[in-house]
Amino acid sequence: MKERPETILEVDSIVTRFGEQAVHDGVSFTLQRGTLTALIGGSGTGKSVLLREIIGLQRPTDGQIRLLGTNVWQDTEDNLNAMRRRFGMMFQDGALFSSMTVAQNVAVPLKEHANVPHALLDPLIKLRLAQAGLEPDVAEKMPSELSGGMRKRAAIARALALEPEMLFLDEPTSGLDPTTARAFDKLVRSLVDDLGITVFLITHDLDTLLTVVDRVIVLAKSKVLADGTIDDILKVDDEWLQSYFSVRTVIDARGEPVS
Amino acid sequence: MPERAELERTAAPNAAFSPEGEGVPILQLTGSWRLASIERIAAQLAALKPPAKFVIDGAGVAEIDSAGALALLDYLDSNGGAGAQLTGFADNELRIVEQVREHLESARAPIEHKHERMLQRIGRTTIDVGRGVLGDVNFLGATVVGVAHSLLHPGSVRIRELTVQFEQVCLSAIPVVALVTLLIGIVFTYLLGLQAEQFGANIFVVDGVGIGMTREFAPILVAVIVAGRSGAAFTAQLGAMKLTEETDAIRTLGLSPMDVLVLPRVIALMIAMPLLVFVGDLMSLAGAMMIANSMLDVTPTTFIARLREGLDIAHPLVGLIKAPVFALVIAVIGCRMGMSVDRDTRAVGMATTSTVVQSIVSVILLDAAFAVFFQELGI
Repeated sequence: MKERPETILEVDSIVTRFGEQAVHDGVSFTLQRGTLTALIGGSGTGKSVLLREIIGLQRPTDGQIRLLGTNVWQDTEDNLNAMRRRFGMMFQDGALFSSMTVAQNVAVPLKEHANVPHALLDPLIKLRLAQAGLEPDVAEKMPSELSGGMRKRAAIARALALEPEMLFLDEPTSGLDPTTARAFDKLVRSLVDDLGITVFLITHDLDTLLTVVDRVIVLAKSKVLADGTIDDILKVDDEWLQSYFSVRTVIDARGEPVS
Repeated sequence: MPERAELERTAAPNAAFSPEGEGVPILQLTGSWRLASIERIAAQLAALKPPAKFVIDGAGVAEIDSAGALALLDYLDSNGGAGAQLTGFADNELRIVEQVREHLESARAPIEHKHERMLQRIGRTTIDVGRGVLGDVNFLGATVVGVAHSLLHPGSVRIRELTVQFEQVCLSAIPVVALVTLLIGIVFTYLLGLQAEQFGANIFVVDGVGIGMTREFAPILVAVIVAGRSGAAFTAQLGAMKLTEETDAIRTLGLSPMDVLVLPRVIALMIAMPLLVFVGDLMSLAGAMMIANSMLDVTPTTFIARLREGLDIAHPLVGLIKAPVFALVIAVIGCRMGMSVDRDTRAVGMATTSTVVQSIVSVILLDAAFAVFFQELGI
């Protein structure tokens, strides 16, 4: 086997305060390579803030984050830049560069950070689009011409451009219709299974949690409330978690009984 | 053996045919087939001379990613090796190769780049400009009706929005207007003075500055400042609101964006602009007076006395009459460009640029029209 089972992300007692309000008060967890992990929590529990802290966009008040062997808030800028090429991030609304076509968007990291021979550049861009589940004719469209789901896929294609070891997704299925959302789940799962990418996502989508995710981390009351497989999480005796998943039970009661 | 694994992982990618021997030739791949070494991968593959039939051995591959797989499959496809058997790859590596193979056809199809020829471009731009002007005129009509309605029914004017806008477009603009007109007053007087001094006609500089500044320069300068300051701000504010669907929200709440957003801005600017021009008149004359004293030996007392004689009240009035018209045009262009922003972040920037350009050009065209008009009237 040539797999590399190792810790890829280490979040160590993160504290975040905005003025008096403590958003995180000692949040810790580690992620293993090749897993698909979801971060859930109610509104205002600081999921997005935590994600921004992990990828180095926002400084935590205290605590350490080690991503791909680099201490995100202490290492030199050169090391950080080298590390940034090894992970991809999909922002909630895609954050595609609006002045460029989809193909040019995907080409940005490829042109900046990889010496792709000219003959291979177009095929590689098309491959990224195909890996994100987009038709080749999307390549020449502007982001403003795309639907929400396609914009998210294009954003994934750009995040995948450098074939990152780790991919962060901020609410990948929010705002998508159920069919598109399930297709998106499958896509994310195949990135983990086929390409061996480690995926960490924030989601509110119960279907995503119940079908494709390996592990769930629950953020509540400024701490990690629960951490484990979805079955473990369902057993946790917590009011918020119970009500969170009870929505699902109601829906299932009408259709097939919950197993 | 972590060291060895690490070595293998960072080893340079290689591709070579096994030495000539019995049976089918074997293409042996070794090293790390990752995007980071894609240049070397392409070079290695390009240097090969493939026989008609061969198999591929991936046992020496430390790792392969989809970019590496793409380079390999792209090479095989172009060199009649599409059917070559893959052996020795680990399962996860095979999965990557197979996934890339699935997408190979669409990846290899050329991207069709859109090219616009000169004539197409000229045509499209002409249509765009035509539509833009038509839209401006349309919006101008709607705004004038709105302003007229407000004049007839003063109660319908939204006082709170109006005062907020007035503060922004008038009070906050006074310092910059005062500074710019003061400096231009000084410079203009200096230049006139240089010429007039040669003929000993120092005192007539006062006439020249008085007429020039109050009739033409102050209104134009203020209009340019206002176009850059308030016109651009209107477009950016309304454009951003359009992006976040705030204007749609206003509409669905049963309010009219015209009443809530556009009219307060237009009316505020139409009131503000004559006031700003007046400030400009005063400051430019003050600047003129300062330099006339030191350079041309025209004391402030003489300056003011000469101004009373030489500056007909018609000249400042002409300047002040033009001001609200300029204001209307700038505000209408600013609001209309903001309201016509598409849901596209880039559009706000382009619309803002367009507002400033359109406003300044329109103001200068209007000023020329006014000049002809007042000439005919003999004012």
